[in-house]
Amino acid sequence: MSPAVRSIGQSIVRMGSFTGKELREVIRRPGVLVSLILGPFVIMFIFGLGYSGYREPFATEIVLPPDSGFPTEPDYYASLAPGRLDVRGVTDDRDDAEQRLRDGTIDLLIIAPENAAAELRAGRQSTIRVAWNQIDPVYDQLAGLATSILVSSLNAEIIEQAAAEGISFAEAELEPDVPSVPPEVIARPTTAATENVAPTDPAVLNFFGPAVFALVLQHLAVTLTALSMVRERLSGQMDRFRVAPVTSMELLIGKYIAYAVLSLGVTAIVGLLLVGVLGVPLLGGWLVFVGIVLLLTFASLGVGLLISLVADSERQAVQLSMLVLLASVFFSGFVLPVSDFAEWTQYLAYALPVTHGIATLQEHMLRGVVSSTWMLWVLLGIGAVLYLGSLIRLRRVLKSAD
Amino acid sequence: MHLTAGVTARSSPQQPAADDAIIVADDISRAFNGSMAVNEISFEVRRGTILGVVGPSGSGKTTTVRMLTGTLARTGGEIRVLGEDPAKFSRRARGRIAYMPQLFSLYEDLSAQENVGFVAALYGIGPWRRRRLIRRALEVVDLYDARHRLARDLSGGMQRRLELACALVHGPDVLFVDEPTAGIDPMLRQSIWDELRALRNEGRTLLVTTQYVSEAEYCDRVALIVDGELVALDEPEVLRQMVFGGDVLQIDTTRAADPDMLASVRGVTRVRQTAPRQLFVTVDDAGSLTPQIIDALRQAGVEVAGIEEHQPTFDEVFTGLVEQRRAARGPRDEARGRPEPAR
Repeated sequence: MSPAVRSIGQSIVRMGSFTGKELREVIRRPGVLVSLILGPFVIMFIFGLGYSGYREPFATEIVLPPDSGFPTEPDYYASLAPGRLDVRGVTDDRDDAEQRLRDGTIDLLIIAPENAAAELRAGRQSTIRVAWNQIDPVYDQLAGLATSILVSSLNAEIIEQAAAEGISFAEAELEPDVPSVPPEVIARPTTAATENVAPTDPAVLNFFGPAVFALVLQHLAVTLTALSMVRERLSGQMDRFRVAPVTSMELLIGKYIAYAVLSLGVTAIVGLLLVGVLGVPLLGGWLVFVGIVLLLTFASLGVGLLISLVADSERQAVQLSMLVLLASVFFSGFVLPVSDFAEWTQYLAYALPVTHGIATLQEHMLRGVVSSTWMLWVLLGIGAVLYLGSLIRLRRVLKSAD
Repeated sequence: MHLTAGVTARSSPQQPAADDAIIVADDISRAFNGSMAVNEISFEVRRGTILGVVGPSGSGKTTTVRMLTGTLARTGGEIRVLGEDPAKFSRRARGRIAYMPQLFSLYEDLSAQENVGFVAALYGIGPWRRRRLIRRALEVVDLYDARHRLARDLSGGMQRRLELACALVHGPDVLFVDEPTAGIDPMLRQSIWDELRALRNEGRTLLVTTQYVSEAEYCDRVALIVDGELVALDEPEVLRQMVFGGDVLQIDTTRAADPDMLASVRGVTRVRQTAPRQLFVTVDDAGSLTPQIIDALRQAGVEVAGIEEHQPTFDEVFTGLVEQRRAARGPRDEARGRPEPAR
């Protein structure tokens, strides 16, 4: 056998040693295999089952001037943009309706012109004012689209009505000015003036900046905690802790404080980059911002601890942390709104700290208020439940190895 | 296993038995999946002494230490350390105990000083006092100059010493030291034992496990564990005599000697010929019997070229003890572990 052939043979043997070793290591850690295969599958399965693709229509209110001549039945307007408008009511009180739009009770406000018939007689298009309150750029576009459909349908309705009623309609409405009405007014009797009343521009960076920040924060806390505790367990440090006069509560709180400090450090850096460099608005105060960050960190640390208690190796801890990240990207509202999922899937979404972190940070930064304060309580609840669970488990682990 | 020889008398294990019995193990056992890792072992360690727990790898030394420190639940027997059951150690008792695990378990990304500081903080030592204690602990193990080096950059021997410094930093009364010299070169092993003996001389109580039987001579008392059972427990010199049945004389002769020449000498219990002109003679008392042995050989026409008292190594002692045990128990144990000789 020539030296070259022998060398190639030896090289293959050496490569084979790594291949064999890696395969054996993976196969002999059933937990890793399960999370490797089952984890992504389960997430995709839940996603497939839970994602309805159904986007809820905009909660809409119509403001009609007292003698506008427009129909007053909500269903009439809902039928103009089928599936896009959920007309909650028709009112003549514009101020009240605008307040409801600002406080988020409704998504879309349609204000009919006061003198549509007179404008038409005068040969001018009537302007329908449509307002919405969206910080999400996708919803901003959808609201614009719904408005276009609404106005087109309304124009078509008017034209169809005119055609049905024939000249008598035109005579009744326009006499004696029919000849002076421009063709474009005849083609499009109404037009829309739209306005997004959200306090910040629904730009992609503005909207996704806080979301990415929340996701990074959760991932950091989950991964670091999971790895840290698994390392303590596998390195034999637990024996040192068992002998020393240290309690599980001291251990946990010490770690929580460390990661809270780290999170605050990350918050300071990323927050300054987001706000100072990228120009993402921060309409709310820094104090509340830090409070949300701490709550999100607290809840995320609990998830990390949970992983560390079930993982049997660092590899599996990393794997499970990545699965949490994957689930967070899919279900937390980061990409697709939580409301797009079936109700049971939404429970899963709300079990993820980041779901609440994204929503509250976006509200706080882009609106200046957190209207969904229940989400902060849920964050606190998730953190407290996981902390207590970890504490009980750790106390058992520290008491004595079985 | 209760030993009939060499076991210190003691009272009930419910109390710190004798006035100075710091560690009391009474018939302690531990089973893993139905297999006995430690089987009914009993011993005591008195204040200010070193008990060396010697045995081959996998003999149950670490399991024993972990039961004594409360890090592993026992399946049988009673333990008292500082008068308390390790499974329910009070904080106060924990503060008086130190445990140096067999494997390096410190933080590689922390410096030597930070690692010791971390352990000191676990014992509730505040920052000001901690600085002084860290310095002292690192000086004891001769690592003060390397205090800023990361643990991962330390050699294996230095890491073991760092573990020892961590165990010492809070000034414990009782130290459980698991395999402090495993994988360490002989020079460093000697220095670690010097440190352990210095601690003993300060009045601390130590239980030290080792797989190197030659290290038994550094201990005040030695427990030999084989296959989870206590084979012998006594002072090193007593064990040496126990194995060979008395003093051993190494006799070199000018011509081939017949071992039967000495059979008639009273006080000679065993004669072993290791070479045509070399005999190993076991006697009750080497001092008084040496002249009689020389006379007996001369009368048989054999001149003695040299005679000296042979000090059997602990390798020989423990091999002898294990063989005695196996002989007593029958051939089923033949294939099982032997103590690892000194390297």
